[in-house]
Amino acid sequence: MEPANSGTFETLLKRGELIESTSEMTPDYLRELKHTLIVSGDTELISAPAYYLAAKKAPSVNAFMTGIAIIQDELAHAHIAFHILEELGESQEALIFKRDPKAFRYPYAFDVPLESWTELVVANAMYDQAGFCLLGDIHEQCSYGPWKRGLVKVMAEENFHLRNGRNWSKRISQAGGAAKEELQRAVDWMFPLTVEWFGLPDNLKQHSAQLDYRLKGLTNDQLRQQWLSTVVPFMESIGIRVPAHQENSHFIVDYPFPCTFDAEAKRWDFKDPCTWDDVLTRWRARGPRNAEMVALFQESFAKFQVRPS
Amino acid sequence: MIEARETSASLESRVWSVLAEINDPEMPVNLVDLGLIYGVEAGDGIVRVRLTFTAMGCPASDMIVGDIREQLLREPGVDDVVIEVVWDPPWSSDRLTADGREALRAWGLSV
Repeated sequence: MEPANSGTFETLLKRGELIESTSEMTPDYLRELKHTLIVSGDTELISAPAYYLAAKKAPSVNAFMTGIAIIQDELAHAHIAFHILEELGESQEALIFKRDPKAFRYPYAFDVPLESWTELVVANAMYDQAGFCLLGDIHEQCSYGPWKRGLVKVMAEENFHLRNGRNWSKRISQAGGAAKEELQRAVDWMFPLTVEWFGLPDNLKQHSAQLDYRLKGLTNDQLRQQWLSTVVPFMESIGIRVPAHQENSHFIVDYPFPCTFDAEAKRWDFKDPCTWDDVLTRWRARGPRNAEMVALFQESFAKFQVRPS
Repeated sequence: MIEARETSASLESRVWSVLAEINDPEMPVNLVDLGLIYGVEAGDGIVRVRLTFTAMGCPASDMIVGDIREQLLREPGVDDVVIEVVWDPPWSSDRLTADGREALRAWGLSV
């Protein structure tokens, strides 16, 4: 085995080799890697309270067990990211328990309350699909060895979440009537939230250090297309309408992108286009459930701290 | 009579083949190699599958039962599927076949 610092950072990266330790990294790479890990860890972590608050509405004991198993997976995935961050010199305690709720870096979609089993399974079908696209890309491309290897099982487990989402969405749609209408309403507000999950379109994003450093391999628009190419045909196959269509091999959304969203009413106004600055302002302000969800895992922490007497 | 018995036997063997094509939703191993299937009986268009789960709290049990029902009802000669969940004897890793053990090891689970 070669010593860790056998090649310079640039040659390792250029040769497509894996970076294994901080001694091989530049400060810029380390900063970008940590940022990417924090976004990933925060996303997995916040999905636990977000899903838990909806899993309580499970329609059967077995469905509740499935929901809880998914939450357990998400916590384990968060643990992988935060464990790596700790090895890179960050404090898990500070990141998880001492950050201001607004400082968390997960997608805005999770801040909009999931309030029913139907909304939970749509989240499994659409949010977990987004996670699957993003993590799948990192798993394939990531230049940081410990994270790349940690993602092998994560991908297998995310598949289980997708199945839960798809099986139940299909079942609810087949039930028809009010159940199907509730499913359609959930898709109506959650679909555009997941489309914007992938971030600024490529023509507005001039430069990506994450791509330069091979922390990921696909651009925002490529990942968004990948997501659309799985979700649009699936929803159509179960008789649920989505505001997007396919032209040749490309998927096009049928509304002004971006446009305004009323988070309290869970309603998009397709007649009111906005700018990406407006979207970024909404994201930074965080949404309705941000503080409640962060409090779910932060509030007991202080009680169990041993304080010097 | 003899003909009917032969049909049942051949249907049962087809059922085993179908079950061996269904993967566990959480692990890359099929239901037969995982040792979940305790028995199969077929007669008069009704297939009975006796099975267990690796844990009583198996979060995938609905999916597994749903997959079995869906796949078996596609088979010619199958009108109904009855699934009986068995807890005694309980599942243990001793029930894995050699192929199942190998598949789980390759996936990173020590068994």
